[in-house]
Amino acid sequence: MSRRERLSRAWRRLWIPPRRLRTTAAGRTYLVLTFGVGLGALNTGNNLLYLVLGLQLSIIIVSGILSERCVRRIQVRRLLPASPRARAPFHLGWGLRLRRGQAFALTVSEVHPTLGSSVARLAWLPAGEEVTVRAVAVAPRRGPVRLRWVRLSTTFPFGLFVKIRDVELDGEILVLPARVPPPPEPPGPSSGLGLEQRSLRGPDGGGDLAQLRELREGEDARRIHWRKSAQLGTLLRVERDAQPQPRIVLQLDEGGPAERLDLACEQLAARAEVLLSRGAEVGLESSGGLSVKPSAGPSQSRIILRALARAGHERPPA
Amino acid sequence: MKGDRLRLALRDLAAAAAFAAMAISGQVPPWAVGLFLVALAVALVPRRPLADGRLSALALLLAVVVLYAAVVLDQLDLVVAACITAALLTAQRMLSRPSPRTTDQVHLASLLMIAGGAVLSADLLFAFCLLLYATLAVLSQGLGVVAETGGGVLPPVRRVLRPLLLGLVLAVAGALVFFVVFPRLSWNVAARRGGASLGPATVGFADGLRLGGAGLIKSNPRVVLRARLDPDPGTELLDVYWVGRRFDSFDGIQWSASDRPGRATHQVLLAPPEPGLVRQEIELLPAYGSRTLVALDTPVVFGDAQTHQTTFTVRADLLPVGGEVRLVGSSDRVTYRAFSAVEHGPALAPAGPERERSLRLPARLDPRIPALARTLSQGALNDRAVARQLERALQTDYAYTLELPGRVKDPLADFLFSRRAGHCEDFATALAVLLRARGIPARVVVGFHGGERAAGEYLVRAGDAHAWVEAEVEGHVLRLDATPPQHRSGEGTGALGWLLARWEALQIRWLDRVVDYSLADQARLAERVRWAPGQESRAGARRASADRSVLFALCGLVGALLLAALLGRAASSGDAEQLGRSLHRLLARRGRLGPAGWLDDARVEGRELAPLRASIARYREARFGRRPLAPGEGRQLLQQARRALGTLGPASASPRRHPPSGA
Repeated sequence: MSRRERLSRAWRRLWIPPRRLRTTAAGRTYLVLTFGVGLGALNTGNNLLYLVLGLQLSIIIVSGILSERCVRRIQVRRLLPASPRARAPFHLGWGLRLRRGQAFALTVSEVHPTLGSSVARLAWLPAGEEVTVRAVAVAPRRGPVRLRWVRLSTTFPFGLFVKIRDVELDGEILVLPARVPPPPEPPGPSSGLGLEQRSLRGPDGGGDLAQLRELREGEDARRIHWRKSAQLGTLLRVERDAQPQPRIVLQLDEGGPAERLDLACEQLAARAEVLLSRGAEVGLESSGGLSVKPSAGPSQSRIILRALARAGHERPPA
Repeated sequence: MKGDRLRLALRDLAAAAAFAAMAISGQVPPWAVGLFLVALAVALVPRRPLADGRLSALALLLAVVVLYAAVVLDQLDLVVAACITAALLTAQRMLSRPSPRTTDQVHLASLLMIAGGAVLSADLLFAFCLLLYATLAVLSQGLGVVAETGGGVLPPVRRVLRPLLLGLVLAVAGALVFFVVFPRLSWNVAARRGGASLGPATVGFADGLRLGGAGLIKSNPRVVLRARLDPDPGTELLDVYWVGRRFDSFDGIQWSASDRPGRATHQVLLAPPEPGLVRQEIELLPAYGSRTLVALDTPVVFGDAQTHQTTFTVRADLLPVGGEVRLVGSSDRVTYRAFSAVEHGPALAPAGPERERSLRLPARLDPRIPALARTLSQGALNDRAVARQLERALQTDYAYTLELPGRVKDPLADFLFSRRAGHCEDFATALAVLLRARGIPARVVVGFHGGERAAGEYLVRAGDAHAWVEAEVEGHVLRLDATPPQHRSGEGTGALGWLLARWEALQIRWLDRVVDYSLADQARLAERVRWAPGQESRAGARRASADRSVLFALCGLVGALLLAALLGRAASSGDAEQLGRSLHRLLARRGRLGPAGWLDDARVEGRELAPLRASIARYREARFGRRPLAPGEGRQLLQQARRALGTLGPASASPRRHPPSGA
């Protein structure tokens, strides 16, 4: 965190009150009524109106006290989704825990321009155990989403006011590129995608039958050639030539407007997933210095998607 | 939480309490009361027939138009019309499909009804309705807010009730504090004093006193008047006579007065004023029900009478009728001042036709009565002795009873010769007739006897109604009371009477301390609370001490709340987040935070810093590992970290400051 960012955070903390209060529709009407009763009491000197006014004002104060008791001691833990995709719903979760007392009518959300609208609700938080609440969120764009505050709010006890407590809790969601259909045509040299093939010979490849040999102890029984083994009366295993696997390095141009880059990332992500599912070794290079060595398998898919999610935003962590 | 039905029932009952706050004033028309009760019954069944609210809303609008047309045509009071509108709106919302919105509307409309009740009524019942409304509304609204949130497991109702009841207690206490301390910047002109809350008035001095009726009034505990005396006797029970009306003509069954009314005036002087008069500030309450003013025997001056109407107070004229003073006009509540010569006794006896009337015996008098008068006064040397002897004879030879057989042909002869038992009217009539039979002018006086102290004043109940005799002896009026002394004041009627008596006393306190609370009361309260080493009287000292005790109790309560808040804050410092922040600050000061500024990469290597590492590890465990810190453990861990750092200097790398994240 830069010094400037730290200063900005300190400044914000200085000016943002620890709690915020918002009136509900019923609360606004209640305030108007309180004002009216107060005016009536002052105007007429009717002591019973003073009594009613006192009760109404006390209700407002009590509302503040009880709602503060609800949100004050709650500890929050953010439960981030593993691999959210842009424009697709994902679950945003929070673990809430209260050491003592109890809290009612809670809503939990992120203080964030796009994810802030996703709200989880909890009627009751008893003391002791952690309660997990989830909300369905949708991120419009790929990329890292930095989360700094979790918003806890309650309308308890009377539904007249919403007491809001923002809990500072750093976190980040890396939103992967949206799922789109892969490009219809295989990538050619003009598209900037390179392709390199090589043939490898190995004992356990997926290619043609090379030889049969006796099964050794500890070897995979799925490799047994059952018909020959039955003919010869001993367990024989199959050895095949290694299948030729393509090695593909996808090229990404990070220049241009953000929308174009997002589209390119989504298409490359779709392409990479298709290629990896076919067993290809896929890598990634970008004009912005992004580089993922070619490799195969599901973990490579995750690495490439994460790299594409960060493309144009920042360098991936070393 | 299986609370939907409960919550709605609480909501509807809260609305009923709010409606009752208005209805007790007696100003809400019966049709409106009936309509609301029907709506309440339907809602409690529960049925919500107005699911589609459009038609009913239209009907409501029409009703409101009619109501306000009635106001314009001067057929209905504006406040009453507003109250009925609120009641109709509440009823319509109660019968609509339940939703958070309709629930809010019912509560807010109920609040309007409560405000309407505050304007319409000043009865003590309003306080109960207000408290009931607050309780039910708080519970209903609290349960509703929790249920409407949804998500997770709904709590058992009792878990929600606890904080709500705590809130209710705080709200009521806060309301009382606000009520007492908020400066009254305006005159109390709009409070509407309540009518007789326990039925119609009870005394009702009639134009005559007819023998043979049952003495039920003696067991009625309702308070009919309250009086502040100056000088204050200070005793708990008064042994005094409050004069109301005098009767001088007796036809054998009924007493009547033959005085003609005088001229209406603001002040009536019955006798020349003299020093040592007892000043009385008297308030005749709704239960009194008569226009005859009463004052301590013997009244000298009546004046400064005011009638308190629903919304205003006016000065009233007084009408002297012989020795009686009547109010011109009528009102449920009258206040006035009177001065009486208590010590000196009655003034000079009347002369002329009045004296003659006071000697006249009934035309058909039982011949045994004069003989009895002679027998009972045998041996007396003068009129005074005759009078006292007859009084004593009746007190000792006759019994007191309220159980009479009903009307008889000659009630006086029946009392003297058959039953030999009766109530004060019988005793007074017998004495007056016996006195007249011996040639001593006598008349019957009706009023009250006694009075009990409450809140620095004296209360007189309907049961204290009494009758006695004034006789003219040696040129002066002599008060004689033949009723046995133990039966002169009111008699209780068991638990109900006790309860009614307490209720009336409470009602008076309510009127005195709440409805009529004013800036002057606030000033007096402030004066009383002020520390004054020398109090003038023991009662004053006691009162001041009580006021100070209340103030100190309030201060103690506030102090306890503050202390609890501080302790709560101190206790919360044991939380993991607090520990994390403290450790972070400590390490930052010592320059031992890592390059990223997190506790995770703090430079805490070395054997001597092992306790510090343990503190950090425990912090992580508490914060992220679901093993919360025990109370006080955070403080210990922080001390342990401080000790470990001891006098060690900063680590070589420059520190960076990053607070730990999280709650």
